[in-house]
Amino acid sequence: MSTAAIEARGLGKDFGSVRALDQLDLDVHEAEFFALLGPNGAGKTTTVHLLATLLTPSRGRARVAGQDVAHDGLAVRRQIGLVFQETTLDRDLTVEENLRFAARLWNLPSRLAAPRIETCLRDFGLAQRRDARVRTLSGGERRAADIARGLLHEPRILFLDEPTAGLDPRARRSLWELVGRLRRASGLTVFLTTHYVEEAEPCDRVAVVDRGRLAALGTPAELKRTAGAGTLEEVFLARTGHALGETELR
Amino acid sequence: MRAVSGIAIRELVRFLRQPGRALGSLARPFVWLLFAGAGYGAVFAGRGELDYRVYMAPGLLGMVVMFGALLAALSTVIDREAGVLRMLLVAPIRRRTIALGKALGATLLGTSQAVAVGAVLLPLVRLRPSAQELALAGVALVLSSLAMGALGLVLAATMRSLENFAGVMNFVVFPMLFLSGALYPVAHLGPILHALTYANPLAYGVDLLKHALLGAWTAAGYGGEFPPTVDVAALAGFAGAGLAVAAPLLTREGGVTRAAFRERA
Repeated sequence: MSTAAIEARGLGKDFGSVRALDQLDLDVHEAEFFALLGPNGAGKTTTVHLLATLLTPSRGRARVAGQDVAHDGLAVRRQIGLVFQETTLDRDLTVEENLRFAARLWNLPSRLAAPRIETCLRDFGLAQRRDARVRTLSGGERRAADIARGLLHEPRILFLDEPTAGLDPRARRSLWELVGRLRRASGLTVFLTTHYVEEAEPCDRVAVVDRGRLAALGTPAELKRTAGAGTLEEVFLARTGHALGETELR
Repeated sequence: MRAVSGIAIRELVRFLRQPGRALGSLARPFVWLLFAGAGYGAVFAGRGELDYRVYMAPGLLGMVVMFGALLAALSTVIDREAGVLRMLLVAPIRRRTIALGKALGATLLGTSQAVAVGAVLLPLVRLRPSAQELALAGVALVLSSLAMGALGLVLAATMRSLENFAGVMNFVVFPMLFLSGALYPVAHLGPILHALTYANPLAYGVDLLKHALLGAWTAAGYGGEFPPTVDVAALAGFAGAGLAVAAPLLTREGGVTRAAFRERA
């Protein structure tokens, strides 16, 4: 049967009279690297927050790691890691203290948490900075610490919501190397949102979203072929009638 | 539970990281003792039976609890602005666990600050409570801190930012302080103000502290006014009601996500 890590059917969300997301149908498979590509305001973050049980759907339903997002929020949250656009770390605590705080929130017993924190600090290149307060970290280090925080409880599915926003090119590169290593090592499912086509390009499949609606879905190669386009940028233009970069920011 | 203690301990660590805040809150009651004590004491002295600075001691401890626990709970607003609240919301814990952890963190801060102040204040005004009286004072500090923490969470849940902090001081903190019996017996207030004291959680906390510390002056009219059991029940009731109201408000949908959405939509 289905090994869908994420399954959404007719998923929709309104904020007052604003229809942030409408009729989203998608399946993300186990161990897949999946991207939601669209401009700001397309409903990407809303989608992630719905799947992560931070919002309740206005319409439709979704299952994440086999659990219903509307009814089994706790079970869903146990299986996922979520890295938000902006940092969620406590700037007044050190890197290690933040990880220990997260370990307690995820109910990891300390004999389990201590070695995992060590591993995370090493894997994310933060071992030297463990006693530094988060406010003194560079943007790249802070992002690495955020992702370490999101992976500490070894989730099956990792959501990355615009993870490279505000990062310099070198930090971006090391972030993608890190995500690649994690996927190879653990078969982690990664659900990425981005408005950069070059970040969607290496993904297994890409969902193109615009103004709260799914415009196209497939592997990058399929999308380009069916749209008769050479790049994902042209795919976006062909499917939505406007360029990815020029959606108005009201 | 690990999450509750984790949330509470974080409050303590944050407090200790801000030496200015810590020193300020520990010095505040002594400033009041010095200035308000001198001023009110001169008026109060006519009655003879009790030095005003002794009378003030339970109220000052109540004041420490109020500022300590209320400000700790209000830091939830900062958590929301800084994004830390999201880490709590995406963790596999119930919404009421978050509220409970925050309230216990506020209790820890309110109580420990009051104990630290009391260790200096009581000898300073030559109050020597018995072990039993000290135990009752301890109960009063813990319960008052919890009630103040819960109230602070309700405020934090309804505030968009700490910009309305002055409003909280003017319409919550000072009225609560002046209607608590911390500085003068509330029995002599007019009927409307006196009625308001029944709705004031701090009044029950200060009353219980007076039972514990001013027992010797009860006959003279300076001790607690309500039976201690009423004080305990009222404080527990305020704490429970506050938590029940705060938990869903604090983590309601949109508290996190809608704000994030509004930036762009």
